[in-house]
Amino acid sequence: MSSVWMPCGDYHQSYAEDHGWWQTRFIKFKMLLLLAVIFVIIPQFLSGYVMSVASMVGYTAMGALGVQLLIGYTGLVTLGHAAFIAVGAYTSTLLVLQFPWPQWIMDAGLAYPISVLVAGVFGGIWSVLFGLPSAKVKGFYLILTTMAAQFITVDFILTQYVSRIGGRGQAFSLPPGTIKVGPWVIDSEREVYYLMAVILTLMVIVLANLLRSRVGRAWVAIRDNDIAAETLGINIVWYKLLAFFVAGFFAGVAGGFWVSNTAALSPEHFPWFWSLWLVGVILIGGVGSIHGAIFGSFFMVVIMELLQVGVIPLADYFPKLLMSFASLKEMAFGLAICAFLIYEPNGLAYRWWQAKNYFNLWPFSY
Amino acid sequence: MEIFSMTLITGIMVGGIYALVALGWVLIYKCSGVLNLAMGELTLIGAYVTLSFYEAGIPFVPAVVLTLLVGVVLGVLTERIFLDKLIGEPILTVIMVTVGLSFFLKGLVGFVWGYDTRVFEPPVFSLSPITIGFVKISPVYLWSFILAIVLLIIFVAFFKYTRWGLSMQATADDETAALSLGVSARFVYAAAWAIAFMSAGVGGALLGNINGINISVGYLGLLVLPAVVLGGLNSIPGAIVGGIIIGVLQNLSGTYLDQYFPGGVKEIMPFAFMAVFLLFKPYGLWGWERIERV
Repeated sequence: MSSVWMPCGDYHQSYAEDHGWWQTRFIKFKMLLLLAVIFVIIPQFLSGYVMSVASMVGYTAMGALGVQLLIGYTGLVTLGHAAFIAVGAYTSTLLVLQFPWPQWIMDAGLAYPISVLVAGVFGGIWSVLFGLPSAKVKGFYLILTTMAAQFITVDFILTQYVSRIGGRGQAFSLPPGTIKVGPWVIDSEREVYYLMAVILTLMVIVLANLLRSRVGRAWVAIRDNDIAAETLGINIVWYKLLAFFVAGFFAGVAGGFWVSNTAALSPEHFPWFWSLWLVGVILIGGVGSIHGAIFGSFFMVVIMELLQVGVIPLADYFPKLLMSFASLKEMAFGLAICAFLIYEPNGLAYRWWQAKNYFNLWPFSY
Repeated sequence: MEIFSMTLITGIMVGGIYALVALGWVLIYKCSGVLNLAMGELTLIGAYVTLSFYEAGIPFVPAVVLTLLVGVVLGVLTERIFLDKLIGEPILTVIMVTVGLSFFLKGLVGFVWGYDTRVFEPPVFSLSPITIGFVKISPVYLWSFILAIVLLIIFVAFFKYTRWGLSMQATADDETAALSLGVSARFVYAAAWAIAFMSAGVGGALLGNINGINISVGYLGLLVLPAVVLGGLNSIPGAIVGGIIIGVLQNLSGTYLDQYFPGGVKEIMPFAFMAVFLLFKPYGLWGWERIERV
């Protein structure tokens, strides 16, 4: 990990140390502090509105982590990630609503957690299905097959067939109290927030661990030069499909989580816009780092909230602004992506890294 | 048989419009290497600009000509503001800038013109069908096709025979050599974007005549992507053939598959076909096969 600066005179003496999680005591302290903030301080002291925004950040970050894995670490550009999130959300909902669970599972509140795991597996398999062309094509052609995944899954299969199961028409409604994890019913911002924090933390741990293992190094090798990677003995088709599976799994779990955050599920929650949004998030956050996915989600969600807050006072004078806020949001998002790519191509994660380096040597930076 | 031939002919006529838009896409890609995902939004803008001129009382053909002029201005502006700075950047960066651009343009269209479906009022083409031989087709398709083909021929002739077109061809072939012969790359890129805006704009105006104009015209513009992939990314004949194939495929599947898979089979069939097609011919019909070395 080249991003860690060791104190002067300290050296790693084994590879295990070199790859260790917490290489200095400061890092350990910092990460524990972060966990404390996430799990104790935010839910205890901040309002429900802040927590709902935080849950949105978390949901975006869950999707963005999968996209980051595909684009930032394996070099497979995907523009159809919302499809896999949608598959996860629908799997989870259908399982919770329609599957004949044994009574003891219902009593123990395990139905929803199990359904989220199954949703992850389903999302992964679906993602591998559309990742299969990556064995043969790459670059722009691959982008188009992932786009095809989006249109086939969301606009066709989900809208036309899956949504009609049970004769509900367009949306599945989730009555309050359906979503239960163990003894807790997920029905307020606070519970949704806790669920989000747990899932996101687990995802980050899983992804970070994968990336510092053999699998992660193979992915990075494929990203940097796939032909060279193949000559080194990496089975690139297998590893590409594995990347698709893991990203699809994350997407499926994210979809399963989204079910807890909404009262009714419809295909409109997963438009192509959302796939592009996730890619935009990692571009703004920084391609090729886990920090990037999280910074990007934070930045985009908070900026959009601020935009909304900023537009409301103007609405008295220009009512059109609020009416077509969706358009305004799209314009702002488009401009943000263009501006970041042109003027700040390394994203927010790079600035974070620079700031960290500056303070590492501060105040004696010579 | 009559249904089949009617579907086929309608497909070819709609395909002509796709071919026109696809030509614009391929020109950008050939000249500057930019893979443009904003084509749908360019189509959308063209449709609305034509509609605005038409509603201001200008007849349809002059309105289309004015749209071409607006297209030139917008194309050059887009190239100068957004894409000029990205020459030589990685492919993902450039693609995503066009995605950002597409968001921006879509938001702009929604903001200025709203989301309701609008139609050309009074209708540009008469509604009673014309009979040619034994098939009946509506004049909208016929005239759109003719206009699309005329523009297609003009663009291809421009590309082949004029000095500007030749300099664009030279840049597409070998950029460094073209630069050393005194071709201005900046001019060529700007010209490519201008042509793309023009072709997409007219395509949008014609498509808008068929079904009315709303945000989904942008989706029709997106169908250009399967078309260019089928033809191979850097082949102009490929773009034309691909556009027509997509048009035919779309209409045939709408007619024949809809009874088995009710719903939007017509919309997704081009993408599904393309995904399968790529498994067998990864470079399209006439695209350059890139041989990669470490």
